[in-house]
Amino acid sequence: MPQFSFLNEIETVSKAGISSCYQCCRCTNGCPVAQDMDIVPHRLIRYIIDGEREKALSSGTIWTCLNCATCSVRCPNGIDVARVFETLRVLSVEAHLATAMDTRLFDEIFIENISKHGRLYEMEAVMRYRLHKKEFFGDADMGLAMMRKGRIGLTPHNIRDRKKLGKVMREMAGKVKI
Amino acid sequence: MTTLSYYPGCSLKTSSSFYEHSLRKILSFYGIELKELDDWSCCGASAAPTINDKITDVLGARNIAIAEREGLHLVAPCSACYARTKVAASRIQQDRETREMVNRAISPLVCTGSLEVRNVIEVFLEYIGTERISDSAVYDLGTVRAAAYYGCVLTRTTGAPPSDDIEDPVGMDIILRCLGADPVAWQHKTECCGAGATITNKKMTASLSGHIMDMAAAAGANAVVTTCPLCQLNLDLTPHLKKDSAKLPVFFLTEIFELALFGAIEWGKRHLIPVDDILKSIGTPGDDVA
Ligand code: SF4
Ligand code: SF4
Repeated sequence: MPQFSFLNEIETVSKAGISSCYQCCRCTNGCPVAQDMDIVPHRLIRYIIDGEREKALSSGTIWTCLNCATCSVRCPNGIDVARVFETLRVLSVEAHLATAMDTRLFDEIFIENISKHGRLYEMEAVMRYRLHKKEFFGDADMGLAMMRKGRIGLTPHNIRDRKKLGKVMREMAGKVKI
Repeated sequence: MTTLSYYPGCSLKTSSSFYEHSLRKILSFYGIELKELDDWSCCGASAAPTINDKITDVLGARNIAIAEREGLHLVAPCSACYARTKVAASRIQQDRETREMVNRAISPLVCTGSLEVRNVIEVFLEYIGTERISDSAVYDLGTVRAAAYYGCVLTRTTGAPPSDDIEDPVGMDIILRCLGADPVAWQHKTECCGAGATITNKKMTASLSGHIMDMAAAAGANAVVTTCPLCQLNLDLTPHLKKDSAKLPVFFLTEIFELALFGAIEWGKRHLIPVDDILKSIGTPGDDVA
């Protein structure tokens, strides 16, 4: 069932005017990962206009998107497509429709890490992600090479104000547990 | 002597600490001192916007407030830190609701969003200038055929004016030419390297970063030069991500300055892809440069 209020919802939250899309495909043509997407960018924009809320929010595309903004800077109608996809990601989690959770999982671990230390403690964040995914040896070779060259942060960098920052971040995150 | 506020960001304190070292050394050579923001925090990179706007704006606002207290222009060498901070500042300045929300959250810190944010290329062009750069380059970098790689977010600061042409930036090419290097013409200056996906979707980063390396090589480059620590790391990791891609050394722009000014780089050993061939091609330290 199409929900025509969806377009309005997305336009309001993202502050991006989607209605002017005339399906020229420039966003898709420039997208570096369009071939890895289940719904290519210009189609996904069309789904929003058509009120296909569930299809849009459960698409893998919004999680494949790297937020590089090539689409946004090339759209002849000034539609900030990357920003629209960012909005879809937030709504997709709220609606429990998110499909590809790896990115989301890492983003949550990343933000939780910041709320604890104030700065990213790379080693801890990556290890927590790997533990969650039960991937213990996947990148051992790459990790070792980085370690040998001193390219991994092995110790935390705690800021003085971290308790207060953590508290504010948790407030801002609202329903999202960090 | 010019003093700039400095927002290093997490990478320059960890995986790319040699970039910080190189940057400080070069800027101080030109009489620019960096004053690190007191107790700065992470910009939230690409993770914060996935959670929500509020957390993104507040993470931005906290650093902006600390910087505004100093009253100096801010330099952020990492492209993510730079773009996040610049975009947050313009949103805070333009949107009253956002401004009030972030100020409530970060109180007693205060931010207005009026902060001037600069990336490394802008700092070189604005505060030092092409003439001084050309005059100071003493070693001959004629053998360095560099692919200037800007990365995707540097010029794509949605909502805030871009620092260079969005699709075909030229700032770094100009600087490289002043330093005596030979920048190649190529199409992949602002292609995305895969960013943080190296951890969650290695295959994707492998193909994106691998392609950038291949295209740089195809354009005749023997080195890639960038200012973004994440781009540098992803490209430097390509031999581990995608074995058959071209293996060009990936320098920070400040390291090319080191080569031009001092004939050597201090932290070559931090590079995953060896930089020796390029170093040898311009001679060893102590050479007569007259
Ligand atoms: S580039 Fe803009 S107008 Fe063209 S299809 Fe994409 S969103 Fe629509
Ligand atoms: S922001 Fe996302 S959809 Fe747009 S070009 Fe980049 S990867 Fe593709």
